[in-house]
Amino acid sequence: MRNLIAKIGLAAAVALAPMSAFADWKPERPINIIVGFSAGGGTDATARLIASSAQEFFEVPLVVVNRPGASGTLAAEIVAGSEPDGLTLLVAGGSESTSVPNHLKTNYSLDQLRGVIRVNREHMVIVTKAGSGLKSAEDIVAAAKENPGGLTFGSSGPASILHSAFLVFAKQAGIEMTHVPFQGGAPALAALLGGHIDMTILTPGDAKAQSEAGNVNLIATTSDRAPQLPDLASLSELGYDVNVENMKGLVVQADTPDEVVQYLHDKFKAAMESETFESLAGRANIQPAYLNGADFDAAMQNMSKAIKEALSE
Amino acid sequence: MDIFLTSLAGQLQPMVLLTMVVSVVIGMIVGAIPGLTVSIAVALAVPVAIFLPTDYALVMLASLYAAGVYGGSVSAILLNAPGTPASAATAIDGHQMARQGLAKKALNIALLASAFGSMFSILLLVTFAPLLAKFALRFGPVEMAGLLLFTFTIVGTVSGSSMIKGLFSAALGILLATIGSDPMIGVPRFTFGNTSLLDGLTYIPLLVGLFAIAEVLKMAGEGFPRQSHDVELGSENKARNRLTGSDMKAISMPMVRGSIIGSFVGLMPGIGSTISAFLAYADIKRSAGSTSKVGSGDIRAVAACESSNNATGGATFIPTLALGIPGDAVTAIILGALVMLGVQPGPLLFVTNPGIVYTVYIVLFLSTVMMVIVGLVATRALVYVLRVPNLYLMPIVALTCAAGSFVVRNNVLDTFVMLGAGVMAFVFGRVGVPVAPLLISFIVTPPFEEAVRQSLAYSHGSFSIFVTNWFSLIAILLSAIVVVLVALAQRRRVIPA
Repeated sequence: MRNLIAKIGLAAAVALAPMSAFADWKPERPINIIVGFSAGGGTDATARLIASSAQEFFEVPLVVVNRPGASGTLAAEIVAGSEPDGLTLLVAGGSESTSVPNHLKTNYSLDQLRGVIRVNREHMVIVTKAGSGLKSAEDIVAAAKENPGGLTFGSSGPASILHSAFLVFAKQAGIEMTHVPFQGGAPALAALLGGHIDMTILTPGDAKAQSEAGNVNLIATTSDRAPQLPDLASLSELGYDVNVENMKGLVVQADTPDEVVQYLHDKFKAAMESETFESLAGRANIQPAYLNGADFDAAMQNMSKAIKEALSE
Repeated sequence: MDIFLTSLAGQLQPMVLLTMVVSVVIGMIVGAIPGLTVSIAVALAVPVAIFLPTDYALVMLASLYAAGVYGGSVSAILLNAPGTPASAATAIDGHQMARQGLAKKALNIALLASAFGSMFSILLLVTFAPLLAKFALRFGPVEMAGLLLFTFTIVGTVSGSSMIKGLFSAALGILLATIGSDPMIGVPRFTFGNTSLLDGLTYIPLLVGLFAIAEVLKMAGEGFPRQSHDVELGSENKARNRLTGSDMKAISMPMVRGSIIGSFVGLMPGIGSTISAFLAYADIKRSAGSTSKVGSGDIRAVAACESSNNATGGATFIPTLALGIPGDAVTAIILGALVMLGVQPGPLLFVTNPGIVYTVYIVLFLSTVMMVIVGLVATRALVYVLRVPNLYLMPIVALTCAAGSFVVRNNVLDTFVMLGAGVMAFVFGRVGVPVAPLLISFIVTPPFEEAVRQSLAYSHGSFSIFVTNWFSLIAILLSAIVVVLVALAQRRRVIPA
């Protein structure tokens, strides 16, 4: 009988062991923050910003690892297939999460990733060439209805979030336009200014600078109003149900236990509320936009769903 | 003018100059290591730079950029292992000079030509930036397709002695360039389901394999021979390595032509300094005539290539500053750093932040001067690299190549690409197939395919867009003429034999 009790006790202990281990889970090895793009870009800036301001809240080192390739999908694939131990984080929320898996076959899906925290968001602004006659969203829709496929839009690459944003707009407005992809946003802007394409998407900062120089017409943002351009209406205000933008946050492998995600979330949230974060974000022109893990997941799923619907004709 | 003087005074501070010297030295070292490129150096400097005052940050980034391109030619000349892709064309004649005991002369000519090319493009930047940037905007996909077709034919004339072997090499380059995502719809081609291959074969590892690893393998095959050439700097050697007035005269025109070609290429998005160097090489080869030494250690070839690739570097700042559109990966990183420093780049930068613009001008200029000073000092020491026995030198080269290839994307696949390219180039060397056409077509094919297919996207599939556009029509006709002329010249050479 004593033996039996001991056995039950042991079994219970074994069963509870993982629970209690997670309840006061703490990382014991360095945490890798994987960036799907090269050092020096916007995603990399977010990673280094959050890593350097969160370091003081962690006892283990936070290491930013650049694994650029295939528009960020290489890194997403690595994290989606990683151990769910909370030690491998991905900076996600952009093309690789909401856009590419809907266009192409990828070796991962958004369901294999789980949000920890959203750090920042970046508005996207549709612009046309100044003097082109396309001064508003209505102009674009009217011109496209008159000549289906005649208008061209430039993107930073096939399956990118810029490409998707135009597709969602076209679907909502019931129009058809021709996609001309470029290797990145810069050549697309050059092609717009040279009059070789009709429209493209810029960040609010670039859009403001080009518009003040009289080079582009600002049409609308693709989500809500951007703080840098408070007078510019969003497509949804204009009656087109579009909500696509570039978000950046941290995600882990989907099977990572709740306790681990909670621990990471709390530390990174504390980091986002720190003074270091505030001053660095201001300097790097990053617009903080906190969301908890579940809400970040929901935001990514909603965008992904809208893009998927726009693609299924 | 006041702003200009303030900016200049800002740069002549001891600490700023020290930052410049350190950045130039680091840039040269990174540039000289095969596999480590200027863009890596600049990218790694950004996290440091954003914590520095704007002046220091700009000095750091621009100096790294200027010195890195020259650094690449050091290893190209001394080891036949170009440190950056842009120096691949320099290696052809530069390394031959080194083998003839003229390493020091080759390095000095490369340095002078680099500085000349940089200065030339900085001058264009200062005087005509807005005008040139507007001109460059007129080149849309259709014009680019024509321009790249013409580029293809021109650099095709560098194919070496046998046209068939050259064409074979070029064709293989085109084939290798098609690996990866399709540029229009993103479907994978020849990736065998491997995500790491979606961006295609990464070009740094490919280049490092084709040149440096192939050289190491060749040396290994010969049992690491002792340096055949005398590098003892005896009095006779010193005299031979001295730059004479007639040398300067000989290289002055090639430098001007190289700088013009390089600046033009720098204005265009997506072609880059590797191609501009090969274009300058093709130009000098043609203009020097068939009796010249080009290909076997001609100072004019070294001068043309180096002035061209450095002019491209300076010229990429023209669209960057005048329009706020980065001309290449490095200027994109520098623009990103400007944003982090609180400066919004854009077409109004000249109006809103003239101080920054002048600072960039002055920094580019001063870092070029600094590069010459540091370079002249370094050259004396660098030639001693040739005295290190190959048995020790070559394994070190192989190791840095492997590390450099890995570092590009932190991806081990790239190391295998490097090895594969090395073995292939080694075999090519044995059977007399030139490697340069492969590299050139590998670099030109992706932008060419992109431009052609973008054009077809807005012509809705009709090829007539290429003949109704006058620029692309002229480019097509010129290309056809070049092909016919080359074919005729080949026949003339073959028939009497």
